[in-house]
Amino acid sequence: MSMSVMVKTSESGQMKPPLVPVNLQHEIEQFYYWEARLLDDRRYEEWFSLLAQDIHYFMPIRTTRIMREARKEFGDSRSFAHFDDDHQMMNGRIRKITSDVGWSENPASRTRHVISNVMIEEGDLSGEYEVSAAFFVYRNRLERQLDIFAGERRDRLRRTHTDAGFEIVNRTILVDQTTILSNNLSFFF
Amino acid sequence: MTTTIDGDSRTTETAKWTAEDITALVSDENGLVDPRIYTDEALYQLELERVFARSWLLLGHESQIAAGGDFMTSYMGEDPVIVARQKDASIRVFLNQCRHRGMRLCRADSGNAKSFTCSYHGWAYDTAGTLVNVPYAECFPKLDKKEWGPLQARVETYKGLIFANWDPEAPDLATYLGDARFYMDHMLDRTEAGTVAIPGIQKWVIPCNWKFAAEQFCSDMYHAGTTSHISGILAGLPADKELSDLAPPTQGSQYRATWGGHGAGFFLDDTNMLTAMMSEKVVDYWTKGAAAEKAALRFGTTARARIAFQHMTIFPTCSFLPGVNTIRMWHPRGPNEMEVWTFTVVDADAPDEIKDEYRRHSMRTFSAGGVFEQDDGENWVEVQQILKGYKARSRPFNVSMGIGNDKGGHPDYPGRIGYVYNENAARGLYTHWARMMTSPNWAALNQTRS
Repeated sequence: MSMSVMVKTSESGQMKPPLVPVNLQHEIEQFYYWEARLLDDRRYEEWFSLLAQDIHYFMPIRTTRIMREARKEFGDSRSFAHFDDDHQMMNGRIRKITSDVGWSENPASRTRHVISNVMIEEGDLSGEYEVSAAFFVYRNRLERQLDIFAGERRDRLRRTHTDAGFEIVNRTILVDQTTILSNNLSFFF
Repeated sequence: MTTTIDGDSRTTETAKWTAEDITALVSDENGLVDPRIYTDEALYQLELERVFARSWLLLGHESQIAAGGDFMTSYMGEDPVIVARQKDASIRVFLNQCRHRGMRLCRADSGNAKSFTCSYHGWAYDTAGTLVNVPYAECFPKLDKKEWGPLQARVETYKGLIFANWDPEAPDLATYLGDARFYMDHMLDRTEAGTVAIPGIQKWVIPCNWKFAAEQFCSDMYHAGTTSHISGILAGLPADKELSDLAPPTQGSQYRATWGGHGAGFFLDDTNMLTAMMSEKVVDYWTKGAAAEKAALRFGTTARARIAFQHMTIFPTCSFLPGVNTIRMWHPRGPNEMEVWTFTVVDADAPDEIKDEYRRHSMRTFSAGGVFEQDDGENWVEVQQILKGYKARSRPFNVSMGIGNDKGGHPDYPGRIGYVYNENAARGLYTHWARMMTSPNWAALNQTRS
């Protein structure tokens, strides 16, 4: 935790990534759709099994900045964030959301995760991929509560021998909001 | 209908509530609160005038604007303000509103600047809020720039926390805080190095009246020791432990300010709650070893060192949890909505590893996605929704827990002290609210001081 890691949107001059084989594109997209199904169908323990032991689930706070200070738009790894969890912390969240005394999700929210704009690059290690995707998460609960979120997800995925085919090593969620326009974040992105 | 308040004869919407009406909304003696205080628009407008324009309001921590030119934008009530560190190290707080036609001077959340130039007609202000340039100034018949700067608030700090107040007649911050300072020092004054804020302020919207949040942090250990946060505790338990392995702590006290609406509650000695929230590493740092010993020496009494988990509100909208070290401001947005702005503080000389534990665990527990705070959001939203009902607003809420058990003074703890599971501090908060709402000015308020 000594190095501060900065997050930013893509920058002028960054190249369009080379095309990956169609099969790989298909595999990863299908993995994402499977993951979305698990979340939207509230199969939380199965979703949790998609997270690598070394998972870093990170959602930095986003701020409104003047153009000159745009580089400060996202919090870094030493800042307060919306989420900055390891495997043990995520396990705790799964215990909460699957318990019947977790009032924020009992009764449960209805969510819909729509994943698109999936762009894949080979990772530094063999079998790992750096993947960017756009998300649209719709959350409705109780009678009339409706919250919608859009943003980018940047993942590091690692091939596995499981049926799912991959595990999530890093997930960085760059939400398109500064003030979060919801009473809580009781669901997963 | 026009009502004269403070010698100011602007028409207000407050005319329908007399002082008598407002006083009747709260009964300290019987522990009753009329739920219209959470829903009525006219009362809310009066709150903006009589509570938010007269109270010391938390804006942030000194370390968030450490260098000259650093600024952040915030709110006092619904008034947007710029909080700016000056070259001489002082802090200025002024209305984020151009005096010409009212455009927002600074639309960024924070940053570093030498000036603020209005995007509408180019009027330029320095970081102290002094108007320094007006384009085509010669076309104005008479424009003394000194008279056209934005409204400045009084600024004072308490052990790293920045407060501001619009009212020139309000007492100084130390007097305002009164006996609450003892309980604030538990978090802010454990080392001569003081505290530093973890960078970043999380903001989110909860559609509920600000007073639910202020009251809960003031007075409501009851919800933490019963049903609200069971799953939050579960989320922090080691894999081999279940909820049935624990019992809620039962030893502790609640503080109600002698005067001023502040309140706090704390468990004594039992660190289980804090461990479930913050991890063993943090609890060890807080209770054993060099840092804890230094804090105990500074306190000069074991009474404060025994406090194992604490909640607190400084009236009206500054709340925090010493031990978790989460601090938050409740920004009102009408009677039916508020914004939570939160940050975490740590001892400035704590090891980096401990600072990071505070960061990660305070965020894990108390934040928009916090495993404790998620459920508070659920409760407050539903309470507010139901109050749309006519009948739902027609009978008082029960705030009577602990009536008759106010032990008054305590040898070790200042203020009015009672058992930790109690609503006396809430009665104190609402009583002070009613006082502020029915007093025309601070001179009248001070008359009611005990």
